[in-house]
Amino acid sequence: MSAQGKSAAGARASVSPARSDALGRQDYLKIDGVSKDFDGFVAVDRVNLLVRQREIFALLGASGSGKSTLLRLLAGFESPSAGRIELDGEDLAGLAPYKRPVNMMFQSYALFPHMTVADNVAFGLKQDRLPRDKVKRRVEEMLALVHMESMARRKPHQLSGGQQQRVALARSLAKSPKLLLLDEPMGALDKKLRSEMQLEVVNIIERLGVTCVMVTHDQEEAMTMAHRIAIMEGGRIVQVGTPDEIYEQPTSRFAAGFVGSVNLIEGKIEDDEPEHVTIRAAGLSESIWVGHGHTGYEGMEVVLAVRPEKLVVSKERPAQAHNCFQGKIEDIAYLGSHSVLHIRLDGGLKVLAHVANSRRWASEDFTWDEHVWVSWHDLAGVVLTA
Amino acid sequence: MRNLLRGRFPGARWLVIAVPFLWMLVFFAVPFAIVLKISFAEGLIAMPPYSDILTRTDKGVIIQLNFENYLYMVRDSLYVSAYLGSLKIALISTFLCLLIGYPMAYAISRLDPTARNIALLLVILPSWTSFLIRVYAWIGILKNNGLINNFLMWIGAISEPLQILHTPLAVYVGVVYTYLPFMILPLYANLVRLDPRLEEAAYDLGAKPWRVFLSLTLPMTLAGIIAGSMLVMIPVVGEFVIPELLGGPDTLMIGKVLWEEFFNNRDWPVASAVAIIMLLLLVIPITIFHHYQSRDMEKRLA
Repeated sequence: MSAQGKSAAGARASVSPARSDALGRQDYLKIDGVSKDFDGFVAVDRVNLLVRQREIFALLGASGSGKSTLLRLLAGFESPSAGRIELDGEDLAGLAPYKRPVNMMFQSYALFPHMTVADNVAFGLKQDRLPRDKVKRRVEEMLALVHMESMARRKPHQLSGGQQQRVALARSLAKSPKLLLLDEPMGALDKKLRSEMQLEVVNIIERLGVTCVMVTHDQEEAMTMAHRIAIMEGGRIVQVGTPDEIYEQPTSRFAAGFVGSVNLIEGKIEDDEPEHVTIRAAGLSESIWVGHGHTGYEGMEVVLAVRPEKLVVSKERPAQAHNCFQGKIEDIAYLGSHSVLHIRLDGGLKVLAHVANSRRWASEDFTWDEHVWVSWHDLAGVVLTA
Repeated sequence: MRNLLRGRFPGARWLVIAVPFLWMLVFFAVPFAIVLKISFAEGLIAMPPYSDILTRTDKGVIIQLNFENYLYMVRDSLYVSAYLGSLKIALISTFLCLLIGYPMAYAISRLDPTARNIALLLVILPSWTSFLIRVYAWIGILKNNGLINNFLMWIGAISEPLQILHTPLAVYVGVVYTYLPFMILPLYANLVRLDPRLEEAAYDLGAKPWRVFLSLTLPMTLAGIIAGSMLVMIPVVGEFVIPELLGGPDTLMIGKVLWEEFFNNRDWPVASAVAIIMLLLLVIPITIFHHYQSRDMEKRLA
């Protein structure tokens, strides 16, 4: 899972500089101290967020993390118990959903079953009392955008899941909203279609330059589609960042564990020098060497987070001074593109290591109960204090 | 399971289908044929009080059809106005039931599941007492020294009692009261299945509440509206008890006429003709009802 996440993050890293240039105003959507409680249950807890113009922003979290409630607050289906929401400088408080320049693509689409595809797309435009020919032209334009021109006269139940999603996207974009909301956009699609549609939806949104906030529980989806991600937990935002920042520089154990898989090694700072730190961990035979300084103190309890694909597994001792540990392979999970090795280090600590199967039959290199060396680079880990 | 049944009892499938058909044959088709036969007979003061339309002679069987009963209904304006009166009362009370029932059904369908069940129970609860007793109770409420008049006089709104009982108003009150659950239940069944996200999607696209209702909620519950309307209208056309107890001499309904022909005039052939015509009038709405119901059913199965 994390290998896929990593490749997505890697792809994004090469694209995002160009993308962020295209982004406009920094505080296009301003969520300022917003809370929502339902009879004492706090679903959203003092959330602050700035979303840039033309940005695709993902709220990532497990169910019950408050991400959906936050989306409903933006749509106007719920009103905040506290705080302000501003869109393009306009306060949205007290604005009914039908008065907001915000449109939403619903989870499982909520297409109107008694209307044709064209009527579904035209629905929002008709509410604005646009002249008939203008509505018609806009509908054609939107259907062309999502490649559904030939389906205009069909009813939603005559469409496949992917086609329904295209119609739902066209419907939510038809009114050129200032803010587009996507609620679990790929939730109803099967895996193969999902990865196709993710890129297509992003392309359409970017072409139109719409600011977009999406909600998802699928980290891969968030990483593929979004420019920036906010991880939510218990109604609060845990971390905000680009997909690669979230993955490579998590700021908390929760964020590190939520996105991708991770080895969390608990220990105490042993030696705190300006340009390196050593960490003493209970389950390791020698100290961990971290190749950068850390604002802490000796004896401080920290957690080192190392992604499994950053561990190098070898039969011989690698030629590096630090962070080399011997261990025994306890389990192997073969996943095709890579294998996950469960390795018990000699100090007792168990770690996961991903080994890329870059040659055919490379998975046969290691076997159960084999004694191997596990090593990582001085800068491979992230020292977490939270 | 099905194959098992078929293997052991090859006739089981036919038996299951035959039961409702047999029921319909014995309790609907045969009585209908008898009524149809009587409607073409002549009235007699005898036992039974009508002539036989089949006369056996040496040469064979002579069938004598008497259309006099049907012509009689066209000639005497009483019958035409009774039919029209019935239809008018049925249509107006169906509309009133819809007007009252739709908001109730809507509100119930939007309650949380526990409250919803209690509310539905309250809708059905009155029908646990006898229909006749409930209609009698309305006499106590509507009569000149009944609850309503006494209350209005007590608060000083009126100085002498209003004549409500034995007026068309009382008939409407009784009919709407009695048949309201038959409107609410199918509407509720439709509304509760309506995905609330569809309404949210319509709001989200800029539709004001009444537009959401007109362009989404109403068309999507059309099947329920038709089902409820038919369930109210069809029995109200032939309603006899309510106009008899609550209505006055000027409430002319065909059910009452039918009763009088049978039991007061003992003119079975005319009464049968009245019944046949009433049935023909009802065939149209019944067909519409059936059409929509089967379409709705197919949609649900698809």
